[in-house]
Amino acid sequence: MSVLRPQDQLPGLNAATILLVGKEDALLQRLADSMLREDCASSLKVHLAHSLPLPSDVNRPRIDLIVFVINLHSKYSLQNVEESLRHVDATFFLGKVGFLVTGAGRDSHCSVHRSTVLKLARAYRSPLLFCDLEVEGFRVSMAQRLVRMLQVCAGHVPGVSALSLLSLLRSSENPCLEDL
Amino acid sequence: MSNQDLDPDSTTDEDVTAAKEELIKKCEEMWKDLQEYQNKLSLIGTETLTDSNAQLSLLIMQVKCLTAELSQWQKEIPEILPLNEEVLVTLGKEEFQKLRHDLELVLSTVQSKNGKLKEDLEREQQWLDEQQQIFESLIVLHNELKHQTVTESRTFKELKTKLHDVKEYKEKLLVTLSEFLEDHFPLPDRNVKKKGKNTQESTIQLITLHEMLEILLNRLFDVPHDPYVKISDSFWPPYIELLLRNGIALRHPEDPNRIRLEAFHQ
Repeated sequence: MSVLRPQDQLPGLNAATILLVGKEDALLQRLADSMLREDCASSLKVHLAHSLPLPSDVNRPRIDLIVFVINLHSKYSLQNVEESLRHVDATFFLGKVGFLVTGAGRDSHCSVHRSTVLKLARAYRSPLLFCDLEVEGFRVSMAQRLVRMLQVCAGHVPGVSALSLLSLLRSSENPCLEDL
Repeated sequence: MSNQDLDPDSTTDEDVTAAKEELIKKCEEMWKDLQEYQNKLSLIGTETLTDSNAQLSLLIMQVKCLTAELSQWQKEIPEILPLNEEVLVTLGKEEFQKLRHDLELVLSTVQSKNGKLKEDLEREQQWLDEQQQIFESLIVLHNELKHQTVTESRTFKELKTKLHDVKEYKEKLLVTLSEFLEDHFPLPDRNVKKKGKNTQESTIQLITLHEMLEILLNRLFDVPHDPYVKISDSFWPPYIELLLRNGIALRHPEDPNRIRLEAFHQ
């Protein structure tokens, strides 16, 4: 399947799968480990990928949440994410996609400006999260947040759907409605 | 379905198995419904986005989906699971425990936030009080300065009047002095004819004692380090002697032709 669709398959019982897309292998691996260490009621699965489209020969469960990881230190990471976005179905963006930006701490190394990423997130109407994945404490709290988001996107939290979560996240992150 | 674990402490085994079977039947029905919907969904085509059309199409989609969700929520009637009372009560208790735990967390966060806000408020209040005090003392200082300038102008006026009075007195003294000197120390009358030839008839204009004193006085105050005046022929010698003898004038220690006024004021 060249384009990822949110309702490709039936959901697994009590399972929630998150796909992390990004070029920084080590950081993604560490984030995946932190997420799996969190205790949560549903059984988590973390998939890592460099870019989309994913190879179609692998049998994988239904993906509930895609997080695109962008490293502000390399323009290539942003390019990679922008290309991968083309292989995601439009219905995924109703709350099942998020952007995670790392490396904002060290301003001197940043070759991608924060506003570029902000514009990208705003264009795709998806939440933008900032986290320095190198620091243990920040990574753990971000993992907690992602686990909670994943639970909502997989439908394991009664009463909250992915779309309603998106609307809740919206108000704090997109204050300017003038540029619509 | 997250509540597949039933409470094992039920009264009878039969109840348990019956409840289990009911639940499993319900789950199977729901699963069948899901598969049906899944089949319907797979018929819908895919659609990818580009940067330019992303915002608008996503917003339209979001509007449609949100309205659909909203109508679904409004239509839905909450169903109770077909379980017997005890199981439901235990399940209900569990849920309430969880809820209580979450609410306690929220309470403690809100309380600590409150505490911090109170501290901030106190600090700001203190700062405000200090600023108020500074302001008040500045006002007092300002008033004092204003008052001072008023009193200063008054003292200035007083000094002016004093100066004026002193100047008037000085004028009066000088006038009285000149009258006195005119009366008692006149210049010799030139029209008096001397008996016999006097080769020393002076044709030089003599100045009055008053004028001499004036010259000496001015010199003393104009050039304090050299108050000596050369005796000119316009000084009448007997008056010079008069001044010298009475200690009003002094001769220069080295030059007999120079005299000065005695410094009575030092």
